[in-house]
Amino acid sequence: MAQELDCRGKRCPLPIIELSKKIKEIELGQELLFISDDPATAADLSAWARMTGNEFKVVSEDNFLITKSN
Amino acid sequence: MGIITAGKYEGQHPLHPKARQILLDAFDQGWADPAQISAQGRQAQALLLQACESIAKSLGLQASEIELWGEPELISPVAIWGAPGFGSAPFIYGATERSEIIGMRAKSKQSFEISVDLDGAIDLELLTQTLQPNSIVAIQSANIETGVIQDVKAISKSVVAQNAHLHIDATASGARFVKPSYWSTLHFDARSWNGPSGVGVFALKSGARWSNPLPHTKPTRAPNSFSIPLALAAAGALEHWIADEAANSARLKSLIERIRNHVKQTISDVDIAGNAQSTLPNIISLSFLNVSSEQLVAALEVEGFSVASGSACVASALEPSHVLKAMGLLTHGNMRINLNHDVQDGEITKLLALLPGIISKLREN
Repeated sequence: MAQELDCRGKRCPLPIIELSKKIKEIELGQELLFISDDPATAADLSAWARMTGNEFKVVSEDNFLITKSN
Repeated sequence: MGIITAGKYEGQHPLHPKARQILLDAFDQGWADPAQISAQGRQAQALLLQACESIAKSLGLQASEIELWGEPELISPVAIWGAPGFGSAPFIYGATERSEIIGMRAKSKQSFEISVDLDGAIDLELLTQTLQPNSIVAIQSANIETGVIQDVKAISKSVVAQNAHLHIDATASGARFVKPSYWSTLHFDARSWNGPSGVGVFALKSGARWSNPLPHTKPTRAPNSFSIPLALAAAGALEHWIADEAANSARLKSLIERIRNHVKQTISDVDIAGNAQSTLPNIISLSFLNVSSEQLVAALEVEGFSVASGSACVASALEPSHVLKAMGLLTHGNMRINLNHDVQDGEITKLLALLPGIISKLREN
């Protein structure tokens, strides 16, 4: 089962900073359910994935499934 | 320290010293209504005419094509609103246009947003496919936040093939703007050439179709409620800005290049907007991953640098910059540098010496 990082209620740039820390704790190929309701998250997640070499899928409005790929 | 703008996205550089003198003299003297037939009225009218002719000449336009506006932010919306068929005709705009231009879609039954690539360049193929003969196209010559320049010449070529209306927002490029052969309406802001705020230039190409959407009783397009001293100062600032630009443009370009290269070499995980070939010579936008813009702005402030940011946490809004978002760039940890002609090379040296350490420290928090 995927680990979870719930950043609801936290504002930019905290969700992405916490995601960057959390991704270090998981193994390559593992998934992480990232939850964030900050309006900047969706846009910044694309940039984060491009810059860090990781992947993500949009599950629902505030839910993103991250795959550690780098 | 005057190298970097703060506050609004637009470079609010200090007024050009010569323009300041014109402004103070004009305020001291006081002005009669140029529409009155008194001697003072005639003098005001003559000076105003001279100022308009000077602005037009400096911008490569005919004096009969321009009018001055006291509320520059209204120029683009009014220029678009008055284009033939606006409302029912397709309204096409770039994804990184200024908000007041994008906002005009609410008044149009058919609107199309044209996406931009990672470098901020508009998708010309999509634009060409979307164009119809009666379309109204609104494009910026350059972006005020990122400095990204659009290929206005190529866009103009597509638009002329359909004989559509082409509005160009030249508020960021100002006197650096090079007109394409085909255009319909243009928008300039005196702040772009270190003139005062509160003076804009609306240009309508000779022979272009356009009807004033505002209630009007006079033959002029503009409400003509602008301040005469500000208009005279705007004309003076433009003349001096052009002279300063000739002496400094290569230097500014090399300073921006120095910032771009130094940041790339010394700081990891940074998004730099646009490429060196297609950005204005005085603007650069940098976004640092895992950095709070609020803390970055504060840290630079302590060192004497005043910077602007498009990140939501600094812009007093929850939504981040729509420009960075449209380009697919990081919207947090953003800082914008907008160099003025009087920037000293030593100021950039100091900034570049400090920046890697500041970013590293902020990332440790």
